[in-house]
Amino acid sequence: MTDPLAVWVGAIVTLGVFSYLARDNPFYRLIQQAAMGVVVGIQIVVTWKQVLQPMWLSPIQGALAGTRDWTGALWLLALVPGSLWYFQLSKKWFWVSTLVSGLFVGVAAGLAFKFRILLILPQIGASLKPLNPFAGPNGFTWEGFLDSSNNLLFLAALLTTLLYFFFSVKTENRWVRTPMRWGRLMIMVALGAMFGNTVMTRMSYLIERMQFLYEMWLRPLFPG
Amino acid sequence: MRRWLARLHTLNPRWLYLATAILLIIPLVILIPMPRGSASRATRGLYDAVEAVPADGIVMIDSSWDQGSRSENAAQLECVVRHLCQRRIRFVVTSLGTVFSPEFAQKTIEPIAAQAGYVYGRDWVNAGYVQSASGLAPVISALALDFHTIRQADVRGTPIGDLPLMKEVRTIRDVRLVYVVTYAPSPEWISFITGQFGTPVAFGCMSMMAPNYYTYIDSKQLCGMLIGNRGAAEYEALIRHPALGTRLSMAASFGNAAIILAAIVGNLGMWAARRAGRRGA
Repeated sequence: MTDPLAVWVGAIVTLGVFSYLARDNPFYRLIQQAAMGVVVGIQIVVTWKQVLQPMWLSPIQGALAGTRDWTGALWLLALVPGSLWYFQLSKKWFWVSTLVSGLFVGVAAGLAFKFRILLILPQIGASLKPLNPFAGPNGFTWEGFLDSSNNLLFLAALLTTLLYFFFSVKTENRWVRTPMRWGRLMIMVALGAMFGNTVMTRMSYLIERMQFLYEMWLRPLFPG
Repeated sequence: MRRWLARLHTLNPRWLYLATAILLIIPLVILIPMPRGSASRATRGLYDAVEAVPADGIVMIDSSWDQGSRSENAAQLECVVRHLCQRRIRFVVTSLGTVFSPEFAQKTIEPIAAQAGYVYGRDWVNAGYVQSASGLAPVISALALDFHTIRQADVRGTPIGDLPLMKEVRTIRDVRLVYVVTYAPSPEWISFITGQFGTPVAFGCMSMMAPNYYTYIDSKQLCGMLIGNRGAAEYEALIRHPALGTRLSMAASFGNAAIILAAIVGNLGMWAARRAGRRGA
């Protein structure tokens, strides 16, 4: 059961945000600033309560009090690299912070290599699709023909889009210019799909708020 | 008629906002039965992946959304959890997104799990917020190798090791499927879970992010994906339990129809205004 006060606050804030559609106003700006403040405040509290306190402070306290394994006290060592970051505030001692920032960059670069290789390599393999409609186990079928046509379209889109971003050849040649135009068309189709989905997402935001206003706020006010 | 159309050009857009809002409320007030399309390959892929999980298998859900993307992610989480409950499959929930995510996940899952007779700790666990400010890659990697070092207590503060379900979940190899539902799921899940360990990963994302992930469906790096409320509605049709996704996608259909209509009328207005201008000249 939702608290009626929370519903009323939610409704007033929602209407306040919608009031921007009429014109920019102080109420809207107040809500905007308050939302930012609330998010930052809660972020600090939750990070402390769910991360730092149980995973860092409690093991140290437990180790020092003898109620937990002594290895918990090793978490005190995390203060050393953590405090190094603050040397960025000093011009003279800035170099000290590079010890820890270098470590972070190294870890991030290593993981980025692994991430990209594991993500991109299967994409190259998946780009090689069968084009022969007769190659299926049952010979020529209508489904096989449609799949092959789809794969052919995919291949054309892939190659022409890559060609569009290939800047090492002169584009006056008709044999290059035509596929490049086709590639541009493919990019526009992809961007159109993205735009259409963006509109759908924005619509979903509005629908969710409308649903909240109607079902949680207005309907209980006028039962029956 | 042409003069009337030309006047549309000077119409205050606020009237359009109001008309859209009214139009969107109608399907929420009156339930209008609408024809359902067939499930897309992406939706069907996730459904099949859940069906392929054995009865004693465990599914991991990363529910990393909050109010910002509730409009689509809530229905996407609801329908998959309902399917898991129908099949009596146990699941663990994490939140690598925002600090608010565990609470939103709890509120969405709790009523469905309770209705299905799921016992917290034995059948499902909300492991809570996982700090990932330094980047998702190290967190997902660590999560895959040893879950218990990343989360030592669940969302209620109970030590992870004390929960019966978590005694069976140590590494990603103990999990049969990972379902990530958030505004824009990170491809790191694909690299560090499917790529490295071979555990299937599925996404639930906002409609506008979907074009970024289609390519991973095609390459089978993602086993399935729910795209916005449409994906949730398709999934609800597959599990034969129309709910939030179906209702919201009905309203979205009205909204889309309104946009198409407004685009046609707007273009007619522009055409009429141009003609009137030419005649005036």
